[in-house]
Amino acid sequence: MTVIPVVIDENICVEKCTICDVFCPGDIIYRLEKDKPPVVMYPDECWYCGACALHCPVDAISIIFPPEMLDCQTTVASLLEKPEL
Amino acid sequence: MTETRSRKAAAGSIQVVEADIAIVGGGVAGCLAAVGAAEIGAKVAILEKGGIIERSGSIAAGVDHYIAVLDEGEEWDKPGYLLRHVPVVTQGVTDLPAAARLIYGLPGMVKRLEDMGVDFHDPDKPGIPYYRHRAFGLPGEYYINFDGRHFKHSIGRAARKTGAKVFERVMVSEVLMDNGRPKGVVAFNIRTGAVFFVLAPTVILAAGDANRIGENASGFPFDSWHIPYNTGDGHGMALRVGAQLANMEFTDSTVSPKGYSTQGLNAFVGAGAHFINVNGERFMFKYDPKGERASRAALVNGVVGETLAGRGPIYCDCTHLSEEEAQHLVRTLGVDRPALPDYFAQKKINLSKEPFEVTVGEIATVRAGALFRGSGVHVDADAASSVPGIYAAGDCSSMNAAVAGAAVMGHVAGQSAARFAQNQPRPEALSKDEIERIHEDMVRPLHQEEGITFRQFEDEVRHIVTHYIGYRREEKYLQEGLHRLQLLREREKEMIAENYHGLMRVNEARNIRAVAEALATSAIERKETRASAAHFRVDFPDTDDENGRRIIMVEQGAEGKLRVSSRQTGLQVDVLPEVPPEILAQEEEAV
Ligand SMILES: Cc1cc2nc3c(=O)[nH]c(=O)nc-3n(C[C@H](O)[C@H](O)[C@H](O)COP(=O)(O)OP(=O)(O)OC[C@H]3O[C@@H](n4cnc5c(N)ncnc54)[C@H](O)[C@@H]3O)c2cc1C
Ligand code: SF4
Ligand code: SF4
Repeated sequence: MTVIPVVIDENICVEKCTICDVFCPGDIIYRLEKDKPPVVMYPDECWYCGACALHCPVDAISIIFPPEMLDCQTTVASLLEKPEL
Repeated sequence: MTETRSRKAAAGSIQVVEADIAIVGGGVAGCLAAVGAAEIGAKVAILEKGGIIERSGSIAAGVDHYIAVLDEGEEWDKPGYLLRHVPVVTQGVTDLPAAARLIYGLPGMVKRLEDMGVDFHDPDKPGIPYYRHRAFGLPGEYYINFDGRHFKHSIGRAARKTGAKVFERVMVSEVLMDNGRPKGVVAFNIRTGAVFFVLAPTVILAAGDANRIGENASGFPFDSWHIPYNTGDGHGMALRVGAQLANMEFTDSTVSPKGYSTQGLNAFVGAGAHFINVNGERFMFKYDPKGERASRAALVNGVVGETLAGRGPIYCDCTHLSEEEAQHLVRTLGVDRPALPDYFAQKKINLSKEPFEVTVGEIATVRAGALFRGSGVHVDADAASSVPGIYAAGDCSSMNAAVAGAAVMGHVAGQSAARFAQNQPRPEALSKDEIERIHEDMVRPLHQEEGITFRQFEDEVRHIVTHYIGYRREEKYLQEGLHRLQLLREREKEMIAENYHGLMRVNEARNIRAVAEALATSAIERKETRASAAHFRVDFPDTDDENGRRIIMVEQGAEGKLRVSSRQTGLQVDVLPEVPPEILAQEEEAV
């Protein structure tokens, strides 16, 4: 299941604006056509930095954290395990 | 379909451009390099894989502190005073002349940045010019707190105003060489596939740190503390052209809310947060006399130690804060990482009422576990690498100190490269065949029908780095890890890409593996523990000051194998040295 990190409110997104597309440091958001809202092209490569939301002039962008991040079930010890040799 | 698309681009849009200097990366170091080079009249090309240099890189969204020496009167505020403490701060492992160049450049850089439009005032403290405070174990109040949300905009604009040719959404994939000297770079637009050859006798590597090399709790590889789009491209290119990397055994990490790798540790600790284990015990004093005020590497070490001892989960406890103080804290966290307040809001947690679980973050190659040292391209005081004509600055070099270090050494690199370029013959034009061959090589992953994705390849690297290298290192695992990373090199050719964005990721994955191999090789060489979690060997748990005050370097030898060498630093940490006269003379001349 693909996680959608960035949700754009199509009703308030400004025509011709490309700020989120240009400001994203990871090439994640694309505004390909000026009369259609931007597309989150590579959602699973998002950093969750929030630069797009911060700079959107009309606050059309929300960052939505998935359960894996909000209510993470990984045990920290599993990141420290050594393999069998 | 992929086939026709890329062939079309190949036929249509190959551009050859000439310059004195090609700068790889338009981040903090790259922008200041362009400014420094322009002061000497060099013709510069900046190539940046992000969208726009006014916003690209680590600080696309903002910074909240800046390391400065201002020379305003206090004894600690003089460059010489800070420099004398560098051996202590770096546990005796750094290049003192390069550190001197950085530190003596700090006062002038504040002025230069202000001229570019950076405002260092703290909006919460309107009455004073700079709000300065002490942090990270430095011997004075070197940190300026400010609202740096527009910092990158100011320096990006200053770089653009120099008249440099700026290529955006353009990833450099390789430095081109001719008889042991650089002749430029090859790059492509990550959306259109347009190809650029920049012919230049000097190249500055300013591609930032190396992330996506370790596993984290969320399992999302792009959920990283530092920027996941900086992937050791400068390190990888340097290795491939025979330049040395230094200090690669030292890695960085942080303590983060479990599930979100993020900035914020300093703010929590600064607000007086306690770390407690599952028994409710405040454990940090067992690991470091400074408790929660210890260095980041020591905090990581404490969380790792408690977890391995079976006393996890570990929590960050801010319940002594009032509700208002907690809200203020969360708001300020948003200057460095705008999405962090959203995270706590969506997690529905009230910091003043309940502790939250934390984890150690993923392993990354950021700044060698200390300021005034870096894990990256080995540079001297002029930011020159071991290959004439190739310079490096910022987080991809062996001498960095966050934003301030990248700014000062970026500027130094720009000036040094400009002077070097003045005496160099122009690189010879590329023949049609050469262009064709280099281009074919670059786009090969687009034409491959079958293979593995960049993600599969990287997952393998992250598994090895996390479990065979890790926070607790031991010879047999390191050797096996290195062996696996070497074998993985063979699989680079199998990676496929669907489009040019994907081609960028494939290139990044190659560099990530190269960084991991340099890390494993160097970690094997350092048979001691130093800088806490930055390099902790369970089979050599003590710090060996007799042999350990060495800089370990790696370079790529025949058949791609890495060769190790090392050099004693001769630095003492128990007595504060006077600033050596030769360094003073050199700095006076440079200023
Ligand atoms: C969220 C965050 C907050 C931080 N806050 C602070 C702070 O408050 N104070 C502080 O002092 N430090 C802070 N740091 C650290 C600081 O940002 C870095 O140390 C500094 O930016 C390093 O500068 P750099 O030029 O080496 O890297 P960057 O500024 O990251 O620039 C590297 C650039 O190179 C580009 N690039 C990489 N590879 C290629 C390639 N192959 N081709 C073309 N371009 C390429 C990247 O897109 C990027 O723009 C922060 C870091 C992060 C991630
Ligand atoms: S949160 Fe950051 S990485 Fe993700 S889309 Fe927005 S700007 Fe890009
Ligand atoms: S920044 Fe906001 S207004 Fe501009 S394109 Fe993106 S969503 Fe639309």
